[in-house]
Amino acid sequence: MVAPAVAHAAIWIAVPVLATLVLSFTDYRVFAAPRWIGFGNYVEIWHDQVFRKATWNTVVYTFFTVPFSMGIAVVVAVLLNQKLRLRTAYRAAFFLPQVTATVAIAMVWLRIYNPQFGPLNGVLSFFGVPGRAWLADPDWALWSVIVVGVWQGIGLKMLIYLAALQNVDENLYEAAAIDGASPVRQFFAITLPMLKPATFFVFVVSIIGAFQVFDLVYVLTDGGPANATTMMTYEVYRSAFQDFRMGMACAQSVVLFAFLLFLTIVNRRLTRSDEK
Amino acid sequence: MKIHRHRGRVGLLAAAAALSLVLTACGNGDTDGNQDDGDVSGELTMLTPIYEGTEGNRLLEEEILPAFYEEYPEVTVSVDYQTYGTLNEKLTTAVAGGLIPDVMMMGVGWVEAFAANGVLAELDSLGVTAESLAGDYTPQIVAGGTVDGSLYALPIMLDTRFGCARMDLLAEAGYEQPPASWEELRDYAVALTERDGSGTLQRAGFDMLSMDLRQMYEVFLFSAGGSLFNEGATEPTFNSAEGVAALEFITGLMNQDQVEDIGFSNTDADVHPLLNGRAAMAVCHNNLWIQLQEAAPELADQIQPFLINGTQPGMFFGGTLATVSASSENQQAALALAQFLAGPEPSLAANEQRGNVPALTELLDSGYVQGNPLVQFAMENLDVAQREGGPPQWLEIRGDFSPAIESALLEQKTPQQALDDLAEAARAAMGR
Repeated sequence: MVAPAVAHAAIWIAVPVLATLVLSFTDYRVFAAPRWIGFGNYVEIWHDQVFRKATWNTVVYTFFTVPFSMGIAVVVAVLLNQKLRLRTAYRAAFFLPQVTATVAIAMVWLRIYNPQFGPLNGVLSFFGVPGRAWLADPDWALWSVIVVGVWQGIGLKMLIYLAALQNVDENLYEAAAIDGASPVRQFFAITLPMLKPATFFVFVVSIIGAFQVFDLVYVLTDGGPANATTMMTYEVYRSAFQDFRMGMACAQSVVLFAFLLFLTIVNRRLTRSDEK
Repeated sequence: MKIHRHRGRVGLLAAAAALSLVLTACGNGDTDGNQDDGDVSGELTMLTPIYEGTEGNRLLEEEILPAFYEEYPEVTVSVDYQTYGTLNEKLTTAVAGGLIPDVMMMGVGWVEAFAANGVLAELDSLGVTAESLAGDYTPQIVAGGTVDGSLYALPIMLDTRFGCARMDLLAEAGYEQPPASWEELRDYAVALTERDGSGTLQRAGFDMLSMDLRQMYEVFLFSAGGSLFNEGATEPTFNSAEGVAALEFITGLMNQDQVEDIGFSNTDADVHPLLNGRAAMAVCHNNLWIQLQEAAPELADQIQPFLINGTQPGMFFGGTLATVSASSENQQAALALAQFLAGPEPSLAANEQRGNVPALTELLDSGYVQGNPLVQFAMENLDVAQREGGPPQWLEIRGDFSPAIESALLEQKTPQQALDDLAEAARAAMGR
């Protein structure tokens, strides 16, 4: 009975992962057979200023997009869990960015951020605030990408929280209301604690998703200006398809994987100790 | 009018097919290289970043390939359309997967990498040599398809970069001719730059941001008398005094003279700033003429190309070349297709569709070239044009150019530091 599942896991997960790991120790340039170089790629990564920058950018992107989008998502989910007119339409509207192609979203945001004709600078100008070259200014480019990332990430998280909210016992709220707890107090004392399992899931999935951000950067900034928005995945892409250095791309992927594994374990430990 | 043109084109395509056969026969000096069209057969795959879009697809599938099939009825061609943005990915996965297309279109500067790694067939062994092309192409274009003295690619079209000026705007400022030197360029650009009362840029005196930064820099590098690599392409030379001077001039225009602001334009701008009056001068691509005809035909008499003159005239050219896979099972058929596409009329049609510069010098007299001032200008000045590329690692090196130029423009590094760091990365790549 388990044979198909094992075969699936072996062919589609174990073999590619092992191949990536093995190739990360080689100088593999597509044109010729891989050549074993031990930790050569990892040493180069360690000294690579651009990859270091990409790692930092990825951490910053994750640090801001994940909690902000989670925070907004849980509030939106709670609001949309109320009996509202057009509730379904609101839910669909919030979920829409999740099912829209990132490239399309990025194109829209390119327009919004356009320094000369974009509505963002138009609105700021109306209030007398000088506009900026949001995606061309190295001081603002990463933050501009983060804003799009937060906006795009709300939908799925909201959906998961909405599903989780359906399992919260209504009696808890009724009891709290009888005891005089305000809606805000109920939110912090009942809703958030009851959403903890969902929060763990959303957190892990969001971190993985944030660390894998690629298409947004690819369309919005191409990693620029001056590598101000390059990310780990973008460097993997550049190594593989610009430099033809598949071995290096594999090593960078392994580093990315190690980051994700570490963060997931830390999060799991924290949650476990919390549960105890 | 259009139907008439198409009729004429189909007729010329048939003539081109015949001519390509003659060229093929001429190129095949030895018995091994001889190919009779009756012997040429097989199913070919072709990867191309040109003939893009509905019009490009139609041109290839309804005009060019049917004309090819008339001459080679035993050959069929499956086309994989890509863009230059995705070509690397496609080629990489094709090579890794062992499914290399029989005919591959690629850019100048790409040939070295694929030839050095045995992906491309040496055309000399198939009977076509650089010498046989010498009479039809300028030497530097043939050199773009030549590696270590062997021919690997047939030129189809060129993309050139040079200066363009809005003469009506220059006239308003009292200038009757485009700038003839860097100093004049700076003076003109400063005078032509316009800002509103709050200091917001309204018109760039000289737009540098609508062009890929690497290619924009290369125009100035070449005009400064610099080069990307030394003669044998064994050492980067773009960080020489000439290269640094070129980047200092660019950063000076941007940061000291403030003839343009970061973010004012970009390579994806819907309308080129020259066409909507947001720039008075720019480094432009020859296909600007296509956009001009669509967006601002009234400016046809106002856009004037000019060579950017430092210590010498500077012009950059890239291009698209047809190559044959070394692993193709139908190399003669693949060569026949590559030669056909590089022939006069198919290449003329492809260039006309993209607004590019035909590689064949005989096409200088064609109606298309004569009716397109930018293409005509490019062809008339190809003798001063220089290409990029050199070492097989160029594709790896070139990706680092834009961040380096950006870091200088943003004053994160001095031009010397930016180019030195880039040269260091280039040396590392060349040493691997």
